[in-house]
Amino acid sequence: MELHCEEIPARFLTPLWENFVHLLEDKLEAWFPTGDSANYRKNAIDNSTGLYSPRKLAWRLVGLPAVQPDQTETQVGPPQRMCVGEDGKPTIQGLKFAEKWGMDFSAVRFEQPAGKKEPCAVVTLTKQGRPTVDLLAEALPGLIAGLHVPKAMRWGNSEFEFVRPIRNILCLFGDQVVPITVDGVTATNTTWGHRLYHREHPAPVVIATPGVYESALETAGVAVSVEARRTRIAQQLETLAAEVKGRVVADAELLDTLAEIVEFPKIVRGDFPADFLELPKEVLVTSLREHQKSFCIEGPDGALLPCFLTAANRTDDPAGFVKAGNEWVLKARLYDARFFFAEDRKHPLSDRLEKLMALTFQRELGSYHDKTGRVVALVKHFASRMSDDTDHIDRALEAARMAKCDLRTLMVGEFPELQGIMGGEYLRHEGAHEEVWMAVKEHYRPVGADDAIPGTPLGCLLSLCDKLDTVAGCFAVGLIPSGSKDPLALRRAGQGIVRILWERGWAFPPADLIAAALRVVGAKATKPTAETNEALMDFFRDRVAYQLELAGYAGSVRRSALAAGWEDLVDLKARCEALSAFAEDTRFASLAQSAKRIGNILKDEAPSTDFDDSLLAQPVEKVLAACLMKLELAPDQASLLHALANLAGPLEAFFNAVMVKCEDPALRAARLSLLHRLRQAFLRVADFSLWQ
Amino acid sequence: MHIQELILRLQRFWADRGCLIGQPYDLEKGAGTMNPLTFFGALGSKPWNVAYVEPSRRPADGRYGENPFRVYKHLQFQVILKPSPAKVQDLYIESLEALGIDLTKHDLRFEEDNWESPSLGAWGVGWQVVLDGMEISQFTYFQQVGGLDCRPVSAELTYGIERICMFLGGYDNIFDLVHGEVKTDDGIFPVTYGQMRQREEFELSAYSFEHADIDLHRTLFDAFEKEGWRLLKDQGHFLSAYEQALKMSHTFNVLDARGAVSTTERPGIIKRVRDLACACARAYLEHQEGAAVPAEDNGKVGAK
Repeated sequence: MELHCEEIPARFLTPLWENFVHLLEDKLEAWFPTGDSANYRKNAIDNSTGLYSPRKLAWRLVGLPAVQPDQTETQVGPPQRMCVGEDGKPTIQGLKFAEKWGMDFSAVRFEQPAGKKEPCAVVTLTKQGRPTVDLLAEALPGLIAGLHVPKAMRWGNSEFEFVRPIRNILCLFGDQVVPITVDGVTATNTTWGHRLYHREHPAPVVIATPGVYESALETAGVAVSVEARRTRIAQQLETLAAEVKGRVVADAELLDTLAEIVEFPKIVRGDFPADFLELPKEVLVTSLREHQKSFCIEGPDGALLPCFLTAANRTDDPAGFVKAGNEWVLKARLYDARFFFAEDRKHPLSDRLEKLMALTFQRELGSYHDKTGRVVALVKHFASRMSDDTDHIDRALEAARMAKCDLRTLMVGEFPELQGIMGGEYLRHEGAHEEVWMAVKEHYRPVGADDAIPGTPLGCLLSLCDKLDTVAGCFAVGLIPSGSKDPLALRRAGQGIVRILWERGWAFPPADLIAAALRVVGAKATKPTAETNEALMDFFRDRVAYQLELAGYAGSVRRSALAAGWEDLVDLKARCEALSAFAEDTRFASLAQSAKRIGNILKDEAPSTDFDDSLLAQPVEKVLAACLMKLELAPDQASLLHALANLAGPLEAFFNAVMVKCEDPALRAARLSLLHRLRQAFLRVADFSLWQ
Repeated sequence: MHIQELILRLQRFWADRGCLIGQPYDLEKGAGTMNPLTFFGALGSKPWNVAYVEPSRRPADGRYGENPFRVYKHLQFQVILKPSPAKVQDLYIESLEALGIDLTKHDLRFEEDNWESPSLGAWGVGWQVVLDGMEISQFTYFQQVGGLDCRPVSAELTYGIERICMFLGGYDNIFDLVHGEVKTDDGIFPVTYGQMRQREEFELSAYSFEHADIDLHRTLFDAFEKEGWRLLKDQGHFLSAYEQALKMSHTFNVLDARGAVSTTERPGIIKRVRDLACACARAYLEHQEGAAVPAEDNGKVGAK
């Protein structure tokens, strides 16, 4: 089936296509409940992955039977004693049961179904399978209307709502048209190809069977598989970039977009005047991407070449109009960008500091000027903890003061994604210290999970303080992310903070960060400090837990290491690294069991830390006491873990042989103390009771 | 192609396809949509096809006549087709051919671009039409105007006249465009867009950014609002009241260009324009077709 529409927005194509696959799967399961449906479903997905283009959404199912198999169904009625009289004849109730299912009483059997205490009346109904084409004809219009369309529209006189007007429906079962009508459009075995194709071929394209769908459309100028278009685009990009001895500046998202906005891709390479190359690379890449959906080409040294690549929705560019047109528009855009770049530099960046007062950061937290003040205070606090080089601290403060100024520049007004980058570039042009402009330029990083943290220590510090102020400030005024709601992307900011600490190996405990941040938020807070503090600690603990996941540690390592303390990230990282070496070690599984037993035994006890080991009577506990010494004296994580691994056997032996809570109170106290000390030693690295 | 030739061809094309040829409305406005031919025409159940040129003022876009691509005032060619015809895209493409664009040699795309006018309580979905990478038109299916659902739905086509002329002629400067030719006994004199408009751009930009009296405009805004509500409430006059809403809108745009509107103030001011415009829309519909049917009473079908 193909829905031929007016141009569907690129961002809706994949979700709509996938949504319909799920709706179809549910139907198939209802129609073919015998287990075979798995095959159809698999086929449905394998054979029609991404059959869509700007004007088409299409799905093909392979392997459907012509007729639904007959289905039998068992109906259970009243107990036998109520259906058959003492004379052996059917009672009224018995007759009624048979009548209800349209059967003669003779077809009623008496069996004891599972869950019943006595034999009951049972009939088996046979439901004749229906032709698949009838099932499809009945179901498809409802499925189409039931598609989830995020921004639905009406058109013409109709009340029907869809993503864009549906202008044609192709619906085939084999070579047979499935008779459906949606909003007055009746399905046929024809569709429309590319608009250009139909200038010479006024008749619609006939699709004889679903199998020839792609090839028939290819002839009519539409490559209907999104994957095919993506592959062709990627190949052409590479070839055309190689022709000018360059390579494409990769952008997977842009590639996806191009594949979704053309029906037949032709990549066109155009040129722009080389003097625009004086603009920062980021400006060119962003301007080309945002305004013209174009790729940049870079030379072997990473510098951009004065040309671009973009997709046209046709097979060729016979008169060179496509190239010339795109070049013309791009020139206008770059002219704008150069105008912004020149205008912005007429005044030093610092002139914008005052203007930040008129730019609201958040209602309760005030302007970006207020925010800058807080970030400066935070940077001052932490920079002086890291260094006593006053020049360095001064540079850190300068970067913090300048960080948000570019929000008032024309360039960032035009391209918000260049925030930070432009501030850095403008400072560089003004001759600022490299540390300062680099820090400003990178202080929004990491902008996502795939992005790196800032490359310089100062950039990391500024990024950390900026994000910390955002997170703590928002929490302090009650803007706390919950469930799927995180409109201010605080989790991403929090993750950025944790990543910087983690990757830099900075030993700032979250409690310190929070305290410092809440101090600078001060009276702007609308929530009690204790409450905010607790919420922030929970928040950071979650972020740290997620960081361990991102770092790829096994579940056992993460759970047990976190439970033994998470606030010292440097220590946590060292413990996770050490534990990972033992992730598969079976001795640790045994250790986990013992750790649980220790936990249970000590649950209601308050053992003392000291014990007299001469009280210990049995050899196995003496061995254990000796092991404890080794554990406690272990100089580093690795040797501690080796000692722990070697403890698994003795512990098992101990629990097999020794009754901890014995009658003798002194011995009992000594054993409890021994276990307590062992647990303390464990907890230096991990809570092994959570290992499994 | 000369600007006037482009306009004439578009008027001829759409008149031949059953559109009334309207005229610009003689009040300052930011877009052709604000012309009552569209604002009221898109409401109600009666068929309505109309096409007209609308000079559109965007004070914040003023560049003193120095920027070759951006101007304070530009010309829109506006087409309203109600109900939207099934072949509306084909009609639009034919209109481009009527301008001499040979589509066998160009790349034409419809890229998602949804339109919203918060000050008119109007929104629709549609595309920007892109020719060889250049946006030449805006194509919208109106869903709501004046806060009211459009039944039936109108298609709105808006051509950027100067852009299309520049693009077709390969001009790098809007002021070099030729508006038309003056023919006299002494000869033929082409008149450029710059000759006709550059000084106007300079003065109106200077006005918007430097000379407009902020206090006066604030007072005017309040006065137009008061006047509009008085006309609507006391007289039930939605057309004269709507004119006041248009004046409010332009006054706001001037204040905005003067940098006199803070970000926090902005939504509130826009809402004041919208409230009056929406009230006018309701009064119009009531006058035309009796009391409006509340939206929730209409059964909806189709995907949500």
